[in-house]
Amino acid sequence: MRGLDAFFSPRTVAVVGASRDPAKIGHLVLKYLLESDARVYPVNPSADEILGRPCYPDLASIPEEVDLAVLAVPAATTVQMVRQCVDKGVRAIIAQASGFGETGEEGRRLEQEIRSILAAAPPDRRPRLLGPNTLGVYVPRRRLDTTFTLRERSPRPGPGDIAFISQSGATAVCIMEAAATLGVGLSAFVGIGNKLDVDENELLDYFAQDPCTRAIALYLESFRDGRGFLERCRRITPHKPVVVLKTGRSATGARAAALHTGSLAGSDRVVEGALRQVGAFRAYDEEELVDLARALGHGRPLAGKRVAVLTTAGGLGVIATDLLESRDRGAGLELAPISEEGKARLRSVLVPFASVHNPIDLTANSSNGHYAASLEVLEAEPEVDAILCVMQFQSPFVDDGLAQIIIDWFHRGPKPMVVVTIGGELSQRGLRQVVQAGVPAYPSLWRAVRALAALYQRGQYLRRLHPLPPAADAAEPPEGRAAT
Amino acid sequence: MTDPAELLRSGVPLAEHQVKDLLASFGIPVPPRILLPPGSGLPPGDLPFPYPVVLKVCDPTLLHKTEVGGVRLGISTRGDLERELAAMRTRFPHLTLMVEAQEPPGVEAIVGLIHDATFGPSLMVGLGGVFTEVYEDVAFRVVPIGEADARDMIAQLRGARLFDGFRGMKASREALVSILLGVSRLGQELGDRIEQMDLNPVIVYADRAVAVDAKLRPR
Repeated sequence: MRGLDAFFSPRTVAVVGASRDPAKIGHLVLKYLLESDARVYPVNPSADEILGRPCYPDLASIPEEVDLAVLAVPAATTVQMVRQCVDKGVRAIIAQASGFGETGEEGRRLEQEIRSILAAAPPDRRPRLLGPNTLGVYVPRRRLDTTFTLRERSPRPGPGDIAFISQSGATAVCIMEAAATLGVGLSAFVGIGNKLDVDENELLDYFAQDPCTRAIALYLESFRDGRGFLERCRRITPHKPVVVLKTGRSATGARAAALHTGSLAGSDRVVEGALRQVGAFRAYDEEELVDLARALGHGRPLAGKRVAVLTTAGGLGVIATDLLESRDRGAGLELAPISEEGKARLRSVLVPFASVHNPIDLTANSSNGHYAASLEVLEAEPEVDAILCVMQFQSPFVDDGLAQIIIDWFHRGPKPMVVVTIGGELSQRGLRQVVQAGVPAYPSLWRAVRALAALYQRGQYLRRLHPLPPAADAAEPPEGRAAT
Repeated sequence: MTDPAELLRSGVPLAEHQVKDLLASFGIPVPPRILLPPGSGLPPGDLPFPYPVVLKVCDPTLLHKTEVGGVRLGISTRGDLERELAAMRTRFPHLTLMVEAQEPPGVEAIVGLIHDATFGPSLMVGLGGVFTEVYEDVAFRVVPIGEADARDMIAQLRGARLFDGFRGMKASREALVSILLGVSRLGQELGDRIEQMDLNPVIVYADRAVAVDAKLRPR
């Protein structure tokens, strides 16, 4: 077991402060951890057993090595328990208590004490520490969950391939719940809290190497080491997308503004430019953070800016067109021209009053078959760089099978595709189905267009890193092109 | 002449002509000039560059020269220059003065360097001349940048179209890219000693760009 693995795939976990009281954090943490594959040991000197598990009075009396210790005890006790962890040879510690550096002088003193205890441990027996002031980790595919919000009130995302690193626990709970509702899955969540030891940079490295993670989303209030963060992004973003929600954009920096450069830098413009420079994406709110991570983690980068829109409602096609093409409140992309041959093929499969010009309007008489036939045509169109598929369930000739048709084309077709669904419960069910299948799909046109814009930007970035010879004008060479 | 980079490293604040020496040593074009130490008059004969010229006071303590009458623009004859020189000598008897070629109008950019608390030395480019702070049309990157970064910064500006030609005006994107790369190299070597630096304006023409004014606050 190396590096940070003990946090994410521990064989043994000790819950220090395990409690019989169902309202206590130490109870919830134990209860949820008992569902994981790890062997779990409750530690509590005044209980014999909790939830059917024998209790241990201290870490030392646990009969085997402990990979991970979750400290669900108050701040002052946490310090003593860190000492016990060092003596026991624990590999990783999650210190959940608040009341540390975030509260003031006394809290900072406690953090300093923990630092000294860790520093005094021999390097080969020095535990790594997450927090303090953290929910810890949640790894859905291992059912490893140290977060302590009630599941019946706060559903968690299922297994997926987005790693979510957050400096705020409560915010992360809300973001994860919203993501779960949409059908978004995570490879892991990790709360970094006060970053006494493990920080965002080390976790970036970890998830860059993690084969289960396809995109990394971060909620950050500060950078531990800004240059280090950028260096990592520069290394990671060519093969794995990174999306950052960095708060504090309007905070007035304590910077001398005697010269113009200083007054123009504000507190945020450097962050903006720096992230762009290293190919990281910046999200501006909690919704965009997850939206972009999904788009970039699941979607394919665009080779050009020409988009084909497939819709069943003319108005939605027009709104999509405006959002795609406009520079103000739009993405600055373009509508793709459809070839004469393509139009003829569309005419032959669609109802007579359907529009075969982009945006392609299947009309309210659309059927599963119309969607499938149109997608087949668009996937073969030479001047289409991406497809925006408006997946609507209102037509009487469309049924639940539509979602699967779109999922199949997404995975098998050569063109990048983003899906949008506007509507109520039935539509949302279809949307969840495609999202769970790893399709970047969204409940609003703007969010879908924004996802396309991000995929276009990513395509530009990757092309800048790996310029192609001028003749080959596509991100991926067309199939069957002869080598010359 | 003492190397301005050495002065900066030893923490000595730089006057404008020293900042410009520093820029020139990193390949950043500055206007031709002559220096007039305290007590000295104009050299006999023609100036080594044509009129019109600018007369400026050069002193590390005077960051904002215009406000104290330390800048005279548009001097077009030797006679005028003699008169302005005499007047400025009475205002600043103990300081070095500088006569500089006055560059014609063009597209005005600003290029800056700042020591950011999070990311260290960072580079700025902006457009808008004296209105830069009104339009806030600027882009930042962390030092060092590559050529692709320089182009991306410029492309990010709302006024980037100026570099594609606009109403007969031509401004060389290449020349501005070259200055950005020069400032990046400067920031890489000396960024730890520089709190902020403004090249404002950098005037961009069809075939070249020149840093007309330069201010530096050491760190």
